Amino acid sequence: MTTTSEQLIQDLVERTRLNINEAEKFSNFSNEKLNHKIKYDSWSILECFEHLNLYGDFYIPELKSRIENSKSLPNVNFKSGIIGNYFAKMMLPKDKLNKMKTLKDKNPIGSQLDRTTIARFIRQQEEMLKLLDTSRHIDLNKTKTAISISKLIKLKLGDTFRFVIYHNERHMAQANKVLDSKNLKAA
Amino acid sequence: MNPILNFIEKIDQQNLWDKTLKLNRKGYLKVSGSVDTNLYFIVSGSLKIYVLDEFEENIIRFGYIDNFISSLDSFITEKPSDVYIQAIKRTELKVIKKPAFMSFVESSEENTKIWQLILMNLIVQQMERERDILTASPKERYKRVLARSPQLFQEIPNKYIASYLRMTPETLSRIKKS
Repeated sequence: MTTTSEQLIQDLVERTRLNINEAEKFSNFSNEKLNHKIKYDSWSILECFEHLNLYGDFYIPELKSRIENSKSLPNVNFKSGIIGNYFAKMMLPKDKLNKMKTLKDKNPIGSQLDRTTIARFIRQQEEMLKLLDTSRHIDLNKTKTAISISKLIKLKLGDTFRFVIYHNERHMAQANKVLDSKNLKAA
Repeated sequence: MNPILNFIEKIDQQNLWDKTLKLNRKGYLKVSGSVDTNLYFIVSGSLKIYVLDEFEENIIRFGYIDNFISSLDSFITEKPSDVYIQAIKRTELKVIKKPAFMSFVESSEENTKIWQLILMNLIVQQMERERDILTASPKERYKRVLARSPQLFQEIPNKYIASYLRMTPETLSRIKKS
């Protein structure tokens, strides 16, 4: 994937706006709805958010320190790396949501959750918007970041942003699926 | 006639709106870091424009029914802006894109004059706002805003007005009682 850096940032800011609006929508629902599970071992809406918060706890400080320490100059264009592009695209939700494995330390199941979980998510997205804006002053290609799923690989900053924000989108779709489930509509 | 409503009527007639947009309560029209050159007309509901300072919300301006709202910095410069625009309650907006709007403004001398009038009013309002912020006494700040926009106190919840007035909600309610 090749694009201008500005286009990529604007696209990611817009996706983040929509993710925040989804979060605001969910924060109006009852605790009962927010804690409902379709199956005993599937995630509730709040567990979807907590999963994203656990990701954010890793990525936001990582992105922040890489951006702050980057001495690169802005590059007009961004060219996605082969692995980075593969990981990012894998995260985008498909029409029929495919199941994916969750690493143990990112599995929220059984956590004690209430709507502050959603507030925490929104806080993280505000932080994400700030990071996206700051990244306008550096090179999204040359700046590299660690990722949570492998210690061996580093991705281009632009791809890591895509990975994290597409991943947020994936779990917004999952939370909407929980909301649309028959059980919940009847409840 | 209100110059804004004169514009709206003409834009309706010439069918220049790009689309209508609905926002849930607390839904965001714009977030920090985006470029947004659209102009929005508020059909119903209300919104706040604010910036975040260390997670604290500082309200710059409100928008309510029959008004235009936009991220004016981005509208003018076509560059990213750090303001957030968020619906306070369920809100419906009509959207016009900058190129369509500017060619509408330039299409007649009358339109150009009305647009100038709207911008001049805005400059005066901005100067009033600047003086609000420079006014040290919370009570005086409150009195200035109340005299200028009584409608604000009918449309907007207290906690947001307090942020706009740079005081706590408690201080605002104490001043209102006195």
